[in-house]
Amino acid sequence: MTLAAAADPSTAVTAITSLQLNAGAIAPEAAVLIAMVACLLVDLAGEKAASRWVPPLCYGGLGGALVLLALQWNASPLEPAFLGSFLADNLAVAFRAVVAASTLLSLLISWRYVEQSGTPVGEYAAILLAATLGAMFLCGSTDLVSIFVSLETLSVASYLLSGYMKRDARSSEAALKYLLVGSAAAAVFLYGASLLYGLTGGATSLEAVGLALQTSTTPVAALALVFVLATVAFKIAAVPFHQWTPDVYEGSPTPVVAFLSVGSKAAGFALALRILVGCFEGFETQWKLLFTVLAILSMVLGNVVALAQTSMKRMLAYSSIGQAGFVMIGLVCGTEDGYAAMVLYMAAYLFMNLGAFACIILFSLRTGSDRISDYAGLYQKDPLITLGLSLCLLSLGGIPPMLGFFGKIYLFFAGWADHQYLLVVVGLVTSVVSIYYYISVIKMMVVKEPQEASDVVKAYPTPSWNIAGLQPLRTALITCVVVTAVGGILSNPLFNWASSAVAGTPMLQRVLASSAALPIG
Amino acid sequence: MTIASSTQFLCFAALSAAVAIGALGVVLLPNIVYSAFLLGGVFLSVAGLYLLLNASFVAAAQVLVYVGAVNVLILFAIMLVNKKEAMAEIPGLALRRVLSGAVCAGLFVLLLRVAFITPWATPGPEPIGDEATIRIGEHLFSDYLLPFELASVLLLMAMIGAIVLARRDVLSADIVTGEPADQGLIEKSRTPLLLETPAPASPAMPTPVLEKR
Amino acid sequence: MLTAPASAMAAALQAPALVTPGLDLEASFTDVLQGFGLSPAAAHLVWLPLPMLLVLVGAVVGVLVTVWLERKISAAVQQRIGPEYAGALGILQPLADGLKLLWKEDVIPARADGLLFTLGPVLVVVPVILSWLVVPFGQHLLISNVGVGIFLWISLSSIQPIGLLMAGYASNNKYSLLGGLRAAAQSISYEIPLALAVLAVVMMSNSLSTVDIVDQQNGAGILTWNIWRQPVGFVIFWICALAECERLPFDLPEAEEELVAGYQTEYAGMKFALFYLGSYINLVLSALLVSVLYLGGWGFPIPVEWLAGALGQSADAPLVQVITASVGIVMTVLKAYLLVFFAILLRWTVPRVRIDQLLDLGWKFLLPIALVNLLVTAGLKLAFPAFFGG
Repeated sequence: MTLAAAADPSTAVTAITSLQLNAGAIAPEAAVLIAMVACLLVDLAGEKAASRWVPPLCYGGLGGALVLLALQWNASPLEPAFLGSFLADNLAVAFRAVVAASTLLSLLISWRYVEQSGTPVGEYAAILLAATLGAMFLCGSTDLVSIFVSLETLSVASYLLSGYMKRDARSSEAALKYLLVGSAAAAVFLYGASLLYGLTGGATSLEAVGLALQTSTTPVAALALVFVLATVAFKIAAVPFHQWTPDVYEGSPTPVVAFLSVGSKAAGFALALRILVGCFEGFETQWKLLFTVLAILSMVLGNVVALAQTSMKRMLAYSSIGQAGFVMIGLVCGTEDGYAAMVLYMAAYLFMNLGAFACIILFSLRTGSDRISDYAGLYQKDPLITLGLSLCLLSLGGIPPMLGFFGKIYLFFAGWADHQYLLVVVGLVTSVVSIYYYISVIKMMVVKEPQEASDVVKAYPTPSWNIAGLQPLRTALITCVVVTAVGGILSNPLFNWASSAVAGTPMLQRVLASSAALPIG
Repeated sequence: MTIASSTQFLCFAALSAAVAIGALGVVLLPNIVYSAFLLGGVFLSVAGLYLLLNASFVAAAQVLVYVGAVNVLILFAIMLVNKKEAMAEIPGLALRRVLSGAVCAGLFVLLLRVAFITPWATPGPEPIGDEATIRIGEHLFSDYLLPFELASVLLLMAMIGAIVLARRDVLSADIVTGEPADQGLIEKSRTPLLLETPAPASPAMPTPVLEKR
Repeated sequence: MLTAPASAMAAALQAPALVTPGLDLEASFTDVLQGFGLSPAAAHLVWLPLPMLLVLVGAVVGVLVTVWLERKISAAVQQRIGPEYAGALGILQPLADGLKLLWKEDVIPARADGLLFTLGPVLVVVPVILSWLVVPFGQHLLISNVGVGIFLWISLSSIQPIGLLMAGYASNNKYSLLGGLRAAAQSISYEIPLALAVLAVVMMSNSLSTVDIVDQQNGAGILTWNIWRQPVGFVIFWICALAECERLPFDLPEAEEELVAGYQTEYAGMKFALFYLGSYINLVLSALLVSVLYLGGWGFPIPVEWLAGALGQSADAPLVQVITASVGIVMTVLKAYLLVFFAILLRWTVPRVRIDQLLDLGWKFLLPIALVNLLVTAGLKLAFPAFFGG
């Protein structure tokens, strides 16, 4: 009997090994990995060579990844890769593209910052690429072990990056806080995952988890839901799991904050869609209720506390908490439009937020300050920053012709159509609040008379772009600002893209079909 | 009860008691060195539990990784920085302790309740004993290939990051312009974060923006 | 009786049902007891403590012999005579040393941490003795042929630094603490190349079990020993084993010129004896494992089966089995003591390294070499499966 029992799983293993690996699904990640290793190798030749060669290597790797992702779009037939560990459906492709693009833009605005602070460039790029790798894998992982390992890759790389300015006590403090809170979140996730593993009876794939949860709605499953949800909420910095955000954002190097606020968050939302929507169907009402609470709290607290901030980075940190709250509306809706609006808003947020970060990095590179009061009267000295920051902030606030307006209106529309009136009303009110503090920054820059300008602006250096590393920054800034400003008018392709991201995802389609069938049947 | 099953039960009771008491000691003892040594004891007891479950490879790996590496590292860190320092009084410490204790107790009761009312599928799968090592290898190279390979990226990056953060750069400079740099954030803080830095350097804390307007 | 043995001890002590013939003492012993009318379970219970006791006695006797050898060989290297009055050729000298330590006062320094001070030496000795579980002296002549075999030894030896740190910390003495820290740093640095060297051997024999590792080497006697296939691994393993045992040239944790006696400074009497015992048992154990991993274990340079065949005897005959077993034990011990001899010679020929040199050697030289060795072994195994255990 023991022999038979021993023989049975081994035949199962041989059956598994005869399956297709389908490794082409991770080709974009492979491009990023190659770029990362190449950065490390180039770095061996010294700092000079690194600062010369690392940027093109990164552009190549991430650009290649984006091209490969474009080739994966609407792949048919959709085959699970790595024996069910990874799935390159359209949702994964869309979120991976957001992550890769956010890394590319963050790197473009990083070079000068990193070099001016005197920290090594090669390792910086390598760690950021590793974080990207983790985030990209997280977007497409369909198995608890893969999810955990990619989550840890992303998290550990983020801890390292936030402590990268190692001689600065604020940076070290940020890294330590992030590490401690992040490790606790990882432990909670592991606990939840182990409960799920027990429920499936020894399988880790999300498919098996979903099946097991369909048949059993035991308290253990509810407990697992709470644990997994806490981790997701930590990753997307939803209130009340947000306490790490302001300190980490303030202490981390600004380009890292740019990546954390977009790339890391996009991966968190992808994880939320995969686990909560894909697996916890049976607990739909419960987790939607929890997320409603989280979304309202995030929108209210993020936007209200942002009012009182004096530091630009801290203000953007709180505003990003509020923005995550808006995106959660789409998650709570659970309709095709809701998911599409999430994807669309993440893409829009990528450009407007990174554009704002590019501006404040450029300002701090030239002045060494990120206080809002120091921006007073900037328009006379540096029109580019003034214009770029104004457009991006207006877009973040959701002022009509910008990209952010269309993203937000789509979210609110989806929420209204799904009868989430409370969420939409709170969203509208907090949007108005957010417009107030965004506009007050713009007013600070534009309306002040020359004599009212801050000391920092009075001593503002003549803008020059000769130093290596500033050109990429300018490229990123202009790209982001142009997309933010023009993308709103030409947003139709983006809408189509977001809809087909949802349409090309079997997992979401299945859930949508089953929830559509319920009211009729 | 046969000899084997009674031995098993006794071992289980002893190991579980060691894990529970040790873990409580780790958290509650005021002497951090004792906590660290007890943590090693907890890790060893957990390895013993794995052994009871016939997972000898996992048990050996647990000892090697957690006792031999993690715990030694913790001890190292503690012993190298074990300075007796008077900590600042935390206001309301007793209340905080009571609150966190209550939260922990509540969580414990919840978990206990859930564990008892869940219909677990017992007994679990047949233990495969020594063959488990082979099975682990097969899994690592088939359905867990992706996480296995990704873990190598994770470890590589963690190692590089640790070296970068721990390395002592005597001189650091902007590589492009050659100007000296301090490896700090570009945004300089106006309000010193650490209290040791001389306070008079910045005479007045900048007034908040909103008041200035 | 013990078909589903979940108890660790019972699982560990279950004799494997190998096809290879050889002397199986357990089977014979339990047969005899059952002949007296005992139940199989009771017979097993009577058998259980015997091998453990035997190995414990063997380890202690091995230490006594090693101590005597160390003193005699050291004396010979320095052109002295060494111990000569206690017994013939001073052979009872180690025993006298041991008795002296036993009779000495057991001092715990006033400001020391008594509990940890006592626990430290225990934690150093127990894992070392436990590691003897997996040392084979013949096909069935080992306490336990556990599946994780050699990995058990690697993981158990990683407990030792905790004991050293504990002893160093509890002594409340700066030399002790430094010695303990050095010992732990050294131990974890050299464990990695050591494990990688072992991994290369394991890869060739497709098993972690020490018995399988030896079996795989004894196809054609001395020609198929692992030392020819793993020369680099052998050197790495031996260096790392010396470092793990804190033998000169790697005895920094107790370098008397720098640290008085390292973590042992405050120890006296029986607790000191435990450290002393532990370090010598560890030395003998390492030598035994080198012989198991690289020198064919219990194998005679010319396979005993061939000799028996040449003499026209069946390998299953009881007399041949007894002779094979005895030759196995003698060969294992002989190889081990040859290595101990080398270790003692090394002690008097090589100067001690500095702490930075020690760490450089471990991390920047042995670790990369061990990794390359592993890679090359894997490549060779794929290219020549017949010679490298496909």
